[in-house]
Amino acid sequence: MKSIIRKCFYMATFILSAVSIHPASIDLSIAASLKEVVTELSNDFANMKPAVSFKRNTGAPGALATQIENGAPCDIFFSANADWADYLMKKKLADAGSISVLAFNELVFVGKSGLKVNGLNDVVTLKKIAIGSPKSVPAGEYAMEAFTKADLVGRLKYKLVMAKDVRECLMYAERGEVDGAFVYRTDAAIASRNVKILFIVPQRLYRRITYTMTLTGSGAGKKEAADFYRFMHSAHAKKVLVKYGFAVK
Amino acid sequence: MFGFSPSDYSAIALSVKVAITATLLSLPFGFAVAYLMTFNKFRGKIVLDGIVNLPLTLPPVVVGYLLLLLLGRNGWIGRTLLQPLGIEVIFTWKAAVIATAVVGFPLMVRSIRIGMETIDRGLIQASRTLGAGRLDTVTTVILPLSLRGIIAGSVLMFARGLGEFGATIIVAGNIPGVTQTIPLAIYEYASSPGGDVMAMALCGISITLSGIVLIFHEWIGRRMDRAG
Repeated sequence: MKSIIRKCFYMATFILSAVSIHPASIDLSIAASLKEVVTELSNDFANMKPAVSFKRNTGAPGALATQIENGAPCDIFFSANADWADYLMKKKLADAGSISVLAFNELVFVGKSGLKVNGLNDVVTLKKIAIGSPKSVPAGEYAMEAFTKADLVGRLKYKLVMAKDVRECLMYAERGEVDGAFVYRTDAAIASRNVKILFIVPQRLYRRITYTMTLTGSGAGKKEAADFYRFMHSAHAKKVLVKYGFAVK
Repeated sequence: MFGFSPSDYSAIALSVKVAITATLLSLPFGFAVAYLMTFNKFRGKIVLDGIVNLPLTLPPVVVGYLLLLLLGRNGWIGRTLLQPLGIEVIFTWKAAVIATAVVGFPLMVRSIRIGMETIDRGLIQASRTLGAGRLDTVTTVILPLSLRGIIAGSVLMFARGLGEFGATIIVAGNIPGVTQTIPLAIYEYASSPGGDVMAMALCGISITLSGIVLIFHEWIGRRMDRAG
């Protein structure tokens, strides 16, 4: 019996030590809309530096910020706005001065191609519309901003299905469970053929969609994370961002 | 109180409404299935037992997803039955009721069965030999004697319904004021920075409601003990 316990103990020690010599791992918290582009770029980076590996956590930036606040491991935080990065900064969870602009995007309305919807005023005639929950999804915040400016909030009440992130929003539209959804132009580009962009929300109705990248407290102390942060601002990274439809200036 | 927004109040009201509707809707079916399972021998009994109890062990997300595939716009029932009749289910509060009913149904059937199994078979046989028809026996002997199980099952199902999340979020979505129940509102607050206070306040409401239900259950149980 004793020898079995001892063997188990050796085994556990072996497994634990095997984990500790694992190559440097960078934890990324990524806005849902950046999933593909950051995955590709982090793979490029890992190919250049085989000693580095990535753990990618995607979701609504607000939800990711909450996770970081509650102690989730994260070195670099990607958000579709600056608000949640500022929030982490105030909580002293992000490295002051590391908030930088990564890219820009546009808000569009997607739905079935037959639908006669050409602008925000037509949206109120529909039955169900998906947006990201404005409490944690920037795409939903931008949409609500546009509704407020266009004075449509009252008429859209009880029609808005709150999705947990912008990709869920898109999925609702693709599956036809809602008439349409407010997503980013880059999301619409990867949508299935069932849906297409019906109109682009006029820019004057909402702040410009600005993606930010931030080193967290743990990320600032990790050389590999700082290297990847710089890599994300390289000419190569910009080229890949543009390939996925993001604007870089 | 706690600075709840109108949509939070409607989430609380909706949770209660959905749980009550699902429970009342399931009662006759729950009673019928429990009766069938307790007093009858028939082919496929094990299969029925399995189907009824499946939602108890399945992840609620699976139940929700299957319901969505069934009732959705492209779903089998959705396309052939609901759409021609102009009935919309998905992303309405009706979907929340259906999801809650399916998930809570096994709990109700189990409780009623336990109630029915304790009935002295002699009483049932006596009523039959004294000339009562099958239906008569059900309404005058079996129903009153299994009342405790029926109430216990209803309370259990109601309590389970208050907390239904996994199946509901898939089929009913998250529409503030329309389909957003307490668990969905908590989920939304919990995943937004600075939402802790509101999430906790709604948790408090949840705990209070569950407490009330349990106390009610105890109280009615004691009352019936005294009466019996």
